[in-house]
Amino acid sequence: MTSTVTPTSTAAAAPAGKSPAGPARSARKGRSSTIIVTGLLVVALYFLTPVYWVLVASTKSTEDLFSTNGFWFAPTFALWDNIAQVLSADDGIFIRWFLNSVLYAGVGALLATYFAAAGGYALAKYEFRGRNLVFGTILGGVLVPGTATALPLFLLFSQLGLANTYWSVLLPSLVSPFGLFLCRIYSQATVDTSLIEAARLDGASELRIFHTIGLRVLTPALVTVFLFQLVGIWNNYFLPLVMLSDTGLYPITLGLNTWLSQVDRLPEFYELTTGGVLLSIIPLSIAMVILQRFWRGGLTEGAVK
Amino acid sequence: MTTTSRAGQRPARQLPRTKARNNRTDGAARAPWMLLAPFLVLFVLTFILPIFVAVLSSFTKVTRSGLFGETGVESEFAGFSNYAQALGDGSFIASIGRMLLFGIIQVPVMIALCTVLALMLESASAKWPSFFRAAYFLPYGVPGVIATILWSFLYVPGLSPLFDIAALVGLTPDFLGANSVLWSIANIVTWSYTGYNMLIIVAQLKAIPGELYEAAKVDGASTFRVALSIQLPLIKPALVLTTVFSIIGTLQLFAEAEVLKTVAPAIDSQYTPNLSAYTTAFAYNDYNVAAAQAVLIALAAFTLSFAFLKFTNRKSS
Amino acid sequence: MGLLSGCATPGTRSVNASPVIAQAAAGEKVTLTYWTWLKDAQKVADIWNAAHPGVQVETVWIPGGNRGGYQKLYSALAAGGGPDLGQVEMRSLPEFMLVNGLVDLARYGAQDYSHLYDKTLWGQVSFTGGVYGIPQDSGPMATFYQPSVLDQVGGTAPGTWDEWAALAGELRRKDIYLDCFPLSDASVFAAFASQAGASWFRAEDDGWVINMTDDATMKAARFFDQAINDDLVQTSFRPYSPGWFAAAAKGTIASVVTASWGDALIKGVSGGEGKWRVAPMPTWAGSGFGSSYQGGSTAAVLANSKHPREALEFAVWMTSSREGIDAEISNSGIGWSPSPGFIGTPRQGPSDFFGGQRYNEEIFVPATQQQNTDWTWWPVTQQSFEILSDGFRKKASGTTLVDSIASAEQQIMAVFRNKGLSIRKETA
Repeated sequence: MTSTVTPTSTAAAAPAGKSPAGPARSARKGRSSTIIVTGLLVVALYFLTPVYWVLVASTKSTEDLFSTNGFWFAPTFALWDNIAQVLSADDGIFIRWFLNSVLYAGVGALLATYFAAAGGYALAKYEFRGRNLVFGTILGGVLVPGTATALPLFLLFSQLGLANTYWSVLLPSLVSPFGLFLCRIYSQATVDTSLIEAARLDGASELRIFHTIGLRVLTPALVTVFLFQLVGIWNNYFLPLVMLSDTGLYPITLGLNTWLSQVDRLPEFYELTTGGVLLSIIPLSIAMVILQRFWRGGLTEGAVK
Repeated sequence: MTTTSRAGQRPARQLPRTKARNNRTDGAARAPWMLLAPFLVLFVLTFILPIFVAVLSSFTKVTRSGLFGETGVESEFAGFSNYAQALGDGSFIASIGRMLLFGIIQVPVMIALCTVLALMLESASAKWPSFFRAAYFLPYGVPGVIATILWSFLYVPGLSPLFDIAALVGLTPDFLGANSVLWSIANIVTWSYTGYNMLIIVAQLKAIPGELYEAAKVDGASTFRVALSIQLPLIKPALVLTTVFSIIGTLQLFAEAEVLKTVAPAIDSQYTPNLSAYTTAFAYNDYNVAAAQAVLIALAAFTLSFAFLKFTNRKSS
Repeated sequence: MGLLSGCATPGTRSVNASPVIAQAAAGEKVTLTYWTWLKDAQKVADIWNAAHPGVQVETVWIPGGNRGGYQKLYSALAAGGGPDLGQVEMRSLPEFMLVNGLVDLARYGAQDYSHLYDKTLWGQVSFTGGVYGIPQDSGPMATFYQPSVLDQVGGTAPGTWDEWAALAGELRRKDIYLDCFPLSDASVFAAFASQAGASWFRAEDDGWVINMTDDATMKAARFFDQAINDDLVQTSFRPYSPGWFAAAAKGTIASVVTASWGDALIKGVSGGEGKWRVAPMPTWAGSGFGSSYQGGSTAAVLANSKHPREALEFAVWMTSSREGIDAEISNSGIGWSPSPGFIGTPRQGPSDFFGGQRYNEEIFVPATQQQNTDWTWWPVTQQSFEILSDGFRKKASGTTLVDSIASAEQQIMAVFRNKGLSIRKETA
């Protein structure tokens, strides 16, 4: 049923060739350049404004937050107080949430990438019975929204006694059907069958071939899958919300929303929330800025090399 | 994992060639399954079984006797009654309609925006492309919940400086009103994912062979012409991919509405299909109807994505 | 596959049919957990902990009620876990009972403590011969207002709802709203209807009897329909939302008719010190009651508790001892004391914030005597309020409150039947 998907997306990787330097740089500059740069700047303003706002807001006391202009700093600079509060609130629970997020996203993405690579490689490089059935089923998984399985998964994990444990968030994070799908495309395009044959003649085992040749050739795709899964888990909200009731197990998304939901009754939580938001987006923003270079080739690099 | 070591078949090296070959084919037959095993086990546990559980419990019904069910509670086969109840629930249907409307407007707008941005960034006249790329991509690293918290501060009268700016030009915007809040959510989603989708398209643009541009230059084609007749057709696969993911994303919409609910009275507890299923399960304690809703959401996502893929496939052939 | 067949719908097994759990043996150390949305609840528990080395209580903060706390409690219950004690509003007790989430405390001797509590409140935790929670606080209602704002039109706190409407009209000319009407939270309207004398549900031996379209409810609905049509109330935000705090500080919101626990929230209005006073709630001239209630919660023992007896003892200490009540007020700013004889030391005497007014003794003590005692909570309260609120939200597009109440009544009856509960419309 889903096999139709493959040609479309493999086509994504098809137009091969050396990465070009883009359209000739010598093209007309001047007016069109001004228009384009202005456009780019306006859009950048849009993307950066909320981040700028929270940067300003986190330097204010709750009182100033409501009484001074949101795009400029208040006379009293309360950033360090606010951050100290964020880090010390509830015995440093913020740090715990942060570490939980790192655990869920880091371990989850690492293992998910490895499993997806092994599976994708197997589906690309071996002919075996049931291959199409397996691949079709997994592709179906790409199309099923993660949130639709979260509720029944909760009921299932409840029966297994896994709900409200680290495992309840970690286990579902280890599966990336999309990652497997990418790895399969990439394996088809880049892993040279003659290399595999040569290794076989040397007597290397199949698993050894995968670990030495497969993984090495797949590395660029693995980076993409890893980043994709990392951000996916880091941003996930529904699954931990459904699974976890113990605040000590919360990832940062859930934790910050817990704080936000208290501002109604306890306005001082505004300081915690804005400070917490600032702290939580700093590492991710830095990561994004650095990692977007690796991402570039990402999804289509399969054929580019 | 213990089978792994057996697959090593180390002794094979010492065996005569023919035997080794046999062993190898044997190993080659088992190898794909061993490589697939960890993924498949987890896939079955976290995709197949839950779907099975959902289907099972969507066909179960709980009946009670007494004022609070204190004199008896029974589970029984329900036929399609939970589905009837889910589909008969005006709020749930409204939430699906709302997401369709959302998807029809937001997805094309976002895809158009990220395509234009990608073309602009890759055009010869763009300056500081890596700065812009980073700036646009940054929101993707901000989790939906946190993005919503951020924007909610900018939507709330009395807290947001946007109102002061709007007042300067004589506007009194209402970001959280009954008719506008859906588009305020659309803005958050667009803000979060445009940069990410843009990068996919940029990657595709970079894969276009340089000779094509050279040929166009020789023909004297304008930048616009190049975009229209060379770049757009060649990035179509990336557009299809991003559109499908956006459609699935739309049906998953949850965090944005859930978080914004605290400041926007117009958002009810069944504003999106997922919020509806969550509320039905954990606020109304109707796990069976919630399961039916989850199955319906999955079916809808599957059908829509599949229909879109079929549609684009047919158009291209 | 045995796993799947065992995958029964959560909440279909009753703990109250199992044998009573014995008190922990002497010397055995018991640790109880209490999930609550009260601020600094651990400080209250620490006082108990110091005196009871054998029974230690740990508190965990959860979001308030249906803002996420109940979802957590329900999902923990469904997962077969959860705390020993949970904070559950009076109105939500029947819903927790419906999923077999609560321990019947009468089986552990709760009746022995009934004399410590307000009779109305004890009535609200007692169902079908059992006791399902220990009253923790309640929310008698009154008007909090800013005299200086009302002064701008020469007004004072309104005594009746008609006077309230007239005053609101005056204030609108100065671009001030007297109060909000939260279309998204129908429980506030329910409090007004209850004050007018409505009683939406009644439990009979053969099932539930519903009547949401009685004269009292319709009177309140028509009144607020008119008030919204005339733009007398602010409907775009609700009390204690960020927009409300900003408006209250600027003086574009003059007052709020709310429960006693509103005092702690009003203290969060920036620069509000000395600007607020408290007056009795406006009345429906000639009928109904002097006050009403909003909120009010219990400490309930949850079904998966291993130590219900100890949990009960802690709950009673926290809510009825002078020590417990005072600690809950000073640390958590908890609502009205459930103990009829003791409102709490911090609440006696004049309040600086409210300009030296002794508002607790003068306004709220009498208010607790003037509430509608016939009002009964029902097992699908939250869903009913959501249905009502969804209807109310359509007010913006022209549907009247009167009409949405009538259609909500039909929908709520359907919800009862879908849950397998028997319900009929009040005849006569």
